[in-house]
Amino acid sequence: MGDEHEYIFSDEEKDILQEIMNIAFGSASADLGDVIDIYVELSTPDIQVLDVGDIPSYLIERMHFRQKETSIVAQNFWGDFKGSGILVLPNKAGRNLITVLDDDQAGLDTEPIAGQEREVLMEVGNILIGACVGKVCELLETFVTYTPPRVIHDSGNEYDSFVKSFDPSQAAIIMETVFKFQKVDINGLLFIFTNQEAIEWLRKALHNFMESYE
Amino acid sequence: MIFSQIFDMVNIGIVILDKDLKVCKWNRWMEIHSKIPREKIVGKSVFTFFPDLNTPHFLRNFKSVVTFGNFAFFSQKLHQYLFPFETTEALGTSFRYMRQSCAMGPLRDEKNVIQYAYITVQDVTQLAAYQQKLKDLSIRDPLTKVYNRGYFEKRLEEEFDRYKRYPGTFSIIMQDIDFFKNVNDTYGHQAGDYVLKTFASIIVSNIRKVDIFARYGGEEFCCLLPETEIEAAMNVAEFLRARIESNIFQFRDTPIRITMSQGVAELQEGTVSAKSLLQKADNALYEAKRCGRNQVIRIDSSSQLSIDPPEDTPSPLPQQVNAEDIQAICHETLPTAQRDKSE
Repeated sequence: MGDEHEYIFSDEEKDILQEIMNIAFGSASADLGDVIDIYVELSTPDIQVLDVGDIPSYLIERMHFRQKETSIVAQNFWGDFKGSGILVLPNKAGRNLITVLDDDQAGLDTEPIAGQEREVLMEVGNILIGACVGKVCELLETFVTYTPPRVIHDSGNEYDSFVKSFDPSQAAIIMETVFKFQKVDINGLLFIFTNQEAIEWLRKALHNFMESYE
Repeated sequence: MIFSQIFDMVNIGIVILDKDLKVCKWNRWMEIHSKIPREKIVGKSVFTFFPDLNTPHFLRNFKSVVTFGNFAFFSQKLHQYLFPFETTEALGTSFRYMRQSCAMGPLRDEKNVIQYAYITVQDVTQLAAYQQKLKDLSIRDPLTKVYNRGYFEKRLEEEFDRYKRYPGTFSIIMQDIDFFKNVNDTYGHQAGDYVLKTFASIIVSNIRKVDIFARYGGEEFCCLLPETEIEAAMNVAEFLRARIESNIFQFRDTPIRITMSQGVAELQEGTVSAKSLLQKADNALYEAKRCGRNQVIRIDSSSQLSIDPPEDTPSPLPQQVNAEDIQAICHETLPTAQRDKSE
């Protein structure tokens, strides 16, 4: 699959993006500790170029590598850099995060537990996706706007319609990292997908980034 | 010039905060709804005027906006509002404050460095009122206004899942109005509806807010009592039985008296599903009916056991239970003639 996408993204460009993501995620990890008061460890990101049509099966394969039941938080972002952030967490994560982040938010007392879990997952997903995308954008000297996050459960119609929302004729760059919340012992996966229409811009931004060091 | 006009003309609130949470801009919409003029609030911390905003949740989101350039979303569904403003809608809503959908985002200087955060405030009271009405329509019984069967079964499943993971228990009471068909036949359906409505309202006013009370169908009701062991549930059921028995349902000039039978069951180790727990309570209710009505019966055992019904009586129990597992609180029963009438 890599060869047919060689024209979209060269190995050199992948290396530059890898380097940028190493810097960005290191910085995001440090700042996240200040923002949510939980140390978040982010692994070295892995980069792949895929057909969008292959994303659903790729996601299923990757999401189920540790646990069968998962919760997904998805959020789109747009600007020069355009795509989606997808956070995959074990189902119990929402409940564990409530206990860590719980601060007597108005309305939480009366909200059923499922609603609270959903809200906490959306908040954490929003912050984590925003931190990683934001740091990449900072290094590439751009900024993006985010749509509200949404929680998708991996059973039933929600996941099916989410999968169908991908345009199979497109190619995407997938940046994947394993994250770990130390205080609550939760780990999961974070994917950042770049839309094909943003790839050309990304390539130029990567070369500009390198030029600033030459 | 044009942008400053837009800032004051748009029908949403816009606030701009610096990194120290001091108000830098406060548009006309915010002035009008907060009744705080901009000259009074600009330069001061937003917490000076809105101390309830000072929560870890708000600060976490604010920090993520100014640190990462994130956007934060405060939906009315959960947060209801960020700024406590009076409602302007004349929809007769029960909301004390305007429901707001708020968003927060970063603002950068010419060097692309984040210096400020903006907050937009949208009045969604009308939308929230419609949502509330739609929700009520979907989860409440139109006659009695208590929860409907669908909602009860959903909450029962949720409670069952919760108690599977955490220690504790809960009980359910199944209730059925005795000889209700006689009320309809004797006094008419309007009287029957009146009795059902008044019955439901008496029960609601005598249970806790956390209890979930629903019309299960016809003259059958059920109540889920979270964190309640069976002894306490029996006390509640007995109290309700006495309360209904002593009440005079005054329909126009006609006084009507009713009684009810109740079956009680508690979640126990070994209860395999929410449905089986409901079945247990239903079995107890049938037993209460069979034993003469106007009484409360509990089933303790989680296993399905059997009781031999009197030979001349066909068994009313879909699943039979053991005699020693059934405890009844018997009270004065209805006159024999009334008892003999079919329902």
